[in-house]
Amino acid sequence: MNRRTSLAAGATATLVALTLTACAPSTGSPEPGGAAGQGCDGDTVALDVWSWRTEDVKTYEKIFDVFEEANPCITVNFQAHLNTEYDQILRTGLTGSDGPDIAQVRSYGLLQPLVEGGNLEPLEDLVPALGEFDDAILDGARGREDGAVYGVPLASQTIQVYYNTAIFEENGLEEPETWDDFVALNDKLLGTDVTPLAVGARDGWFVPTVHDALTSAQYGGADFQQALRDGDTDFTDPAYVDSIQTLKDLQKYMPEDVTGVAYTDAQVLFTSEQAAMFAGGSYELAFFQEANPDLGLGVFQVPPPPGAALDHPVSPGYADGNWGLSAATEHPEEAETLLNWLATPEFGQLVADELKQFSPIPGVEFSDPIQQEMWDLYQENPAPYLLLVDYRYGDPVGTDLMGEAGQKLFLGDADAEQAAGIIQDGLSAWWTPGE
Amino acid sequence: MSGRRTAALPTSVALLFLLPAAALFAVFVLYPMATALTYSLFSWRGTAQDTFVGLDNFVTLLTTEPYRSQLPRAFAHNGLLFAGAMVVQNSVGLLLAYVLHRRERMRRLFQVLYTMPYLVSPLVVGYLWSLLLSPLFGPVNAALRAVGLESVAQPWLGDPDTALWVVVLVTAWQWVGFPLLVYGAALGSLDPTMEEAAMLDGASSRQRFWYVTLPMLVPVIGTVSVLTFIFSMEAFPIPYALGGSNGSPAGATDVMSLLFYRTAFGSGASNAIGVSSAVAILLFVVIVGVSVLFTRWFRRVERGLT
Repeated sequence: MNRRTSLAAGATATLVALTLTACAPSTGSPEPGGAAGQGCDGDTVALDVWSWRTEDVKTYEKIFDVFEEANPCITVNFQAHLNTEYDQILRTGLTGSDGPDIAQVRSYGLLQPLVEGGNLEPLEDLVPALGEFDDAILDGARGREDGAVYGVPLASQTIQVYYNTAIFEENGLEEPETWDDFVALNDKLLGTDVTPLAVGARDGWFVPTVHDALTSAQYGGADFQQALRDGDTDFTDPAYVDSIQTLKDLQKYMPEDVTGVAYTDAQVLFTSEQAAMFAGGSYELAFFQEANPDLGLGVFQVPPPPGAALDHPVSPGYADGNWGLSAATEHPEEAETLLNWLATPEFGQLVADELKQFSPIPGVEFSDPIQQEMWDLYQENPAPYLLLVDYRYGDPVGTDLMGEAGQKLFLGDADAEQAAGIIQDGLSAWWTPGE
Repeated sequence: MSGRRTAALPTSVALLFLLPAAALFAVFVLYPMATALTYSLFSWRGTAQDTFVGLDNFVTLLTTEPYRSQLPRAFAHNGLLFAGAMVVQNSVGLLLAYVLHRRERMRRLFQVLYTMPYLVSPLVVGYLWSLLLSPLFGPVNAALRAVGLESVAQPWLGDPDTALWVVVLVTAWQWVGFPLLVYGAALGSLDPTMEEAAMLDGASSRQRFWYVTLPMLVPVIGTVSVLTFIFSMEAFPIPYALGGSNGSPAGATDVMSLLFYRTAFGSGASNAIGVSSAVAILLFVVIVGVSVLFTRWFRRVERGLT
């Protein structure tokens, strides 16, 4: 996008935002037909809630009906904007006067522009339930500078390996217990007509996901994260270099010319049962089940290789979105009521059941057995999705660097040490170990 | 010159009629341009404008990583896109226009067929080609293998040596209709007696093209070249669809607008708005500067020919 089109986009975004808010029912006039307003003694207040999940509008309206029934004096106007334009629209909305009261906001680094701009309220005092959330998940909602929590965590994602149970059964394979098992089953599959591991490295963002799914335990997961935070090491650490070497060693189990294979090709390879395994995020589950309802699915964590930093396998995970409170809201009390409800197990269970997402709210259970298993595996042995969680606070972001380094690694243009060097050099533009 | 007299209105009335257009132009073009310029002169804390820093953002862009290495790489790729478009898109466009100009039958049909791709959104075109070129399921490699050209089958978009040329060719595939139409119109307006005179003098058809028709097309070639330059520098949807926001593989298809997009929206950097506005302004200055130089140069060439 050049300057002029970007400005045009900005102008359009503003116009869209203005039009949408103009179309929204004005404050105090509840939507006809809704449960809202009935049984309310005083004036009803309408809260504007913004989201980037255009595909979930109907479900969210259903979910908020539950809230409106319990709080007759508050109506929720749920508005979704196109995912790719959302950040721009939200920035405009929160800095102007026609913005949302509560909005879905991104996690970690991408949350920071709003925090630094003073567009969001810190929430620890307003939402006491935040104290019960997992600390690692709350990290996704913290301001970089003051450490305060600026969002109620909405969803989390875990990363693991999916496998096709039918293909495993056909070849007499089982979930691997040791690294040798894992290599042996890959070798066995290599002799069949299916691809052992469906990976698409043409999409740079997917490479760090695959790397962490396969090798997080090898470089040390949360321990390595802490060592980086303490300044005891950096990304040229031998353990991290070894983990990149492992990724290279496993390339022979991936599709040929893997840097030319798109992420969506890898998905199709797996759902069409032409590949036995897929290293990816929990967000894949709904798509896999929809694309091929007959697909027999299982999940496992990759066991660490000999000499790994950890002696047990892990599931990397990360927070994926929060509910933020606009600093410019005209209805702080009502917004506070809604935010507190968004932190209840009742809402979390609705997110799990209706939206099929991992709600990180303590006490939520999942009806899909695979989903529950992924969550249990994560709870047992969690790890951070390292490059996303801690290394998206500056330019260039860690995940982009791993994308480029991993592509060079697969192409043979860089060895493991050089790939680690690309990540370390890139990050050193804005990050010093121990800071 | 009676035409000129009827057009001459009293100045004040003329200005009055110009006012609505001028106001729209000011609000929707000049104001945003000025805003972008001011954005690039401030440091930002997220969405909040911080302090005036003069040209600091531009200095950052030229002296610190990752911009110091990504900026020249992206500019070079834009340059290659331009060179590729001139060689492939515009020469093929001219050739097709010339061939169509010389035969009446079905001219309309072919003009429509060749220009059809640019009625499709470039993002869609990009995604379609990325499907066609997939090494796993793509029909392009499958077709090559089917006719025994195994060795020619490539991971087209997965190899840094071929990826940028795929961008050039896909862009050309979509836009070849543009030079075709412009050159077609220009050829139609040329005085046919010139060519007839050359023919009577015994010039071959090749000589007539090179020494009669082509020189008369120079003004149009200039216009097409400048527009191609602008399109190439602004390229976004096709590179984005083929290589993602990072210019995969390994930055081989990275261009200026992707760099802008990443800087503005892809990072959690505090000063993202400041630095990305500087990228935008720099790109604008280069486009305007080079376009002006190009136009002048072509005018000189034109004068030399007449």
